[in-house]
Amino acid sequence: MPEPQLSHITKLRAGGGCITVSILGEKAVFSELSSTYPLKLLSQFIQDTRAIAYLLTYGGGLVSGDEIGLVVNVQLGATLILLSQGSTKVFKARPGKRLASVKSQHLAPLTLHPKHPGARTISTRQNLDFHIAPRSILLLLPEPVTCFRDAHYRQSQRFHIQGDGSIVILDWITSGRISLGEEWAFSHYYSMNELFHNEKRIAKDVMLLDKEELGDHLLPNRSLRERLQPYSCYAMLILFGPEVQSVIAAISARYDKISIFKGVVVRMAGIETEMVKGWLREALYGLESIIGVDVYRRTFP
Amino acid sequence: MDDDTETYILLLLSDSNLPTGSFVASSGLESYVKHGFASSSSSAADATVEFVRNSLSSYARSALPFVSDAHRAVMEYSSHQEMDGKEGVGTDKSLDDILKALTDLDGLYQAMTLNHVSRRASMSQGVALLTLYSKGFSRPPTLSAFSGAESRDHESRMQILLDQFKLKVRREEVFGHLPICWGALTAALGLNLERAQYLHLFLHARSILSASVRLNDLGPYGAQQILLHAVRPLVATEATRCRNLRTGLLDNSVEGFDEAALGPANTWPLGEILAGRHDLQHSRIFNS
Repeated sequence: MPEPQLSHITKLRAGGGCITVSILGEKAVFSELSSTYPLKLLSQFIQDTRAIAYLLTYGGGLVSGDEIGLVVNVQLGATLILLSQGSTKVFKARPGKRLASVKSQHLAPLTLHPKHPGARTISTRQNLDFHIAPRSILLLLPEPVTCFRDAHYRQSQRFHIQGDGSIVILDWITSGRISLGEEWAFSHYYSMNELFHNEKRIAKDVMLLDKEELGDHLLPNRSLRERLQPYSCYAMLILFGPEVQSVIAAISARYDKISIFKGVVVRMAGIETEMVKGWLREALYGLESIIGVDVYRRTFP
Repeated sequence: MDDDTETYILLLLSDSNLPTGSFVASSGLESYVKHGFASSSSSAADATVEFVRNSLSSYARSALPFVSDAHRAVMEYSSHQEMDGKEGVGTDKSLDDILKALTDLDGLYQAMTLNHVSRRASMSQGVALLTLYSKGFSRPPTLSAFSGAESRDHESRMQILLDQFKLKVRREEVFGHLPICWGALTAALGLNLERAQYLHLFLHARSILSASVRLNDLGPYGAQQILLHAVRPLVATEATRCRNLRTGLLDNSVEGFDEAALGPANTWPLGEILAGRHDLQHSRIFNS
């Protein structure tokens, strides 16, 4: 399959971006690193075949209507570590109809209803496509997503792994700004992770957390918080490929048999986000040899 | 199919004695109770209702799209066959097409069911349904006098389809997951989609309640009360909410499929964790 490359530059829209890491001689290089507002990419450093980049957003968060579209190519033999600076904050969604009249306010409660196409919430979206070449490694280890009150967020990530490429994917969410009393107070969170190995779909995880709007009065409505408490952080970790076999083996040994597609999917919930972080730091200790001591300590302080 | 016949089929399919293996599945309830989540509720009944609500909601959103698509595909195949008449032109091709559609749905369900406990339970119940059809619902030659030639013809075509699919399961070419097999079975029996969806959710909820009785958390009378008063609105709500969901595999429309709005999804992350931890319990009486 031809690697999607530089051609993306011309197609960049607002929030678009492209990262391509390839190997030149013995060293990793960012042969492409481009982004447009509100997405910002920061290349931190390069160490041998390893490259690190940070995903940032201007102003420290995403607002309603932001649409991030990032294409990432990790080419033959390279290792890319993608981190974020702080958690991805998603601000409150505003109703689709931005009329200055009071009337439009009435539309807001309906906005989550797919059957009311006229009243659409403008959600915040992130679409990320990853292409992992043979012998390369992608480690996607961002801070968790934090959706503020009434936020409407959709994230889709697709991973195309070729041959003996390897990946580590961490996808996690916190309950919100606990300091402000927000606990699972957002309105919609959708996260999709789809993995293809040599074009064949091997795993697809879709998590949807949204407010239930029941059509009738047979049942009392229940808040998202009631469904998700007592935890304030849910995380999912996917590991796949030959380079992370030792980490997979270590995790599988701890939890008996959870390996399901030559890779492994691990799910966690924690009363506090720090507890999940602590677990990850321990469970992923084997990654230290792949990403180096410095980067490991930076990622899991 | 007339309403009386459909009702009769509903009665048969809702029999708790059907050998579909659902009595060995607790859909995560055993793990939920063992991990102490039930004890935070004020009563065992509250805890069970809470579990049913979360489990049913997530199951409906993730599995019903597969039931619906499998059902639609088999219904379409069945009506095409009738229009084609007896010539048998293109029959092999359309049989291949429907088998491929079911296989694709089954593969997607496998990719989306990311814990081995749920996969195992789904596959064992799925294949049991296929066996049920061929052994329990097919018409033996001794009873052929009770039908006309046309319906016998239809039955034999459905029989061939489900037998072929079962053969693929035996050969391990497909997994034979429950929602796909349920959709195919109910369509083959002529049950309409709405009823097939509703019954599927009801059976999911009822098997959780019977698991609760076997776990000695609820008495058999209490379970009936919950089934009548609490489960009915839950099933009705989820059946309504999820009736138009699709997998997206069979929809080749130009405008694309709005996956986030209409596609399958898990809605209860704790349920996934509990299911995954089922086999870690020191002793257990259910297989899921």
